[in-house]
Amino acid sequence: MNAQTPSRTGRGPHDAPFSISVERLPDAAVVRLCGSCTMEVASAVGERLVAQITPTTRLLVVEASKLDFLESTGLGGMVAGYLRIRRNRGDLRLVKPQPAIMALLEMTRLTQLFRVCDSVEEALRLPIL
Amino acid sequence: MTDRPVRNGGLPDLKEIIVPNDLAAAKTPERLILEEAEASGYSENAVFAVKLALEEAMTNAFRHGNQRDPAKHITIRYRVNRERIEIEVIDEGPGFEPDSVPDPTKPEYIDRPHGRGIMLMRAYLDSVEYSKQGNAVRLVIINKPP
Repeated sequence: MNAQTPSRTGRGPHDAPFSISVERLPDAAVVRLCGSCTMEVASAVGERLVAQITPTTRLLVVEASKLDFLESTGLGGMVAGYLRIRRNRGDLRLVKPQPAIMALLEMTRLTQLFRVCDSVEEALRLPIL
Repeated sequence: MTDRPVRNGGLPDLKEIIVPNDLAAAKTPERLILEEAEASGYSENAVFAVKLALEEAMTNAFRHGNQRDPAKHITIRYRVNRERIEIEVIDEGPGFEPDSVPDPTKPEYIDRPHGRGIMLMRAYLDSVEYSKQGNAVRLVIINKPP
């Protein structure tokens, strides 16, 4: 591979490998986002979040402490998850976003939609308003 | 994909890369620009800003400009020096009117899943200008002392 050829994943040296893992609970799902959510993988965020929501799901918890990059498609995926969980009269909560991600959320004013928590336990414990 | 220096509108030493209309392929010019930015002494925050703006511009070119058509291409022209980074992202679509995109931070649009890319580019960069046709965007970030 020469310097001009994209890798098979498209991932560059500035991107940490992106992964999504899910823990299902009786009325909640904890979705952990790790690495760099860049443009070529970002559509998975909304797809995976929405896929976790069953008729009994009330809480969608997005653990973001190891997420180091997020662009607008990934942000939009979180909004899609929020809209879907609101149909269940539920809530989407974000856990420990890094400062750069928090700045994105504040700049886009998505902190008005997503409650930001210090831990998964807190996100699961707080009442749904 | 092609990679060559070009002359454009009096700006010497612009490099040009043309990639297929594919987001994985678009990572190559992003990587080259970010490597030059780091080598030129830009801060971590500035590199983050350039990366974010590039991803927004190329996603818009891929999705809205070129309508996900794999037969089309995205052209990236750029110049990086110690004072500033200038980048043009050009698609093969008919263009659009950027002022027609609503402010995604307004209460009536806050819960829309789409429409934040242009706002983010403008928030993170010193200048974001669209061509008259609307199928090219020029991004500029100034290197500021810490």
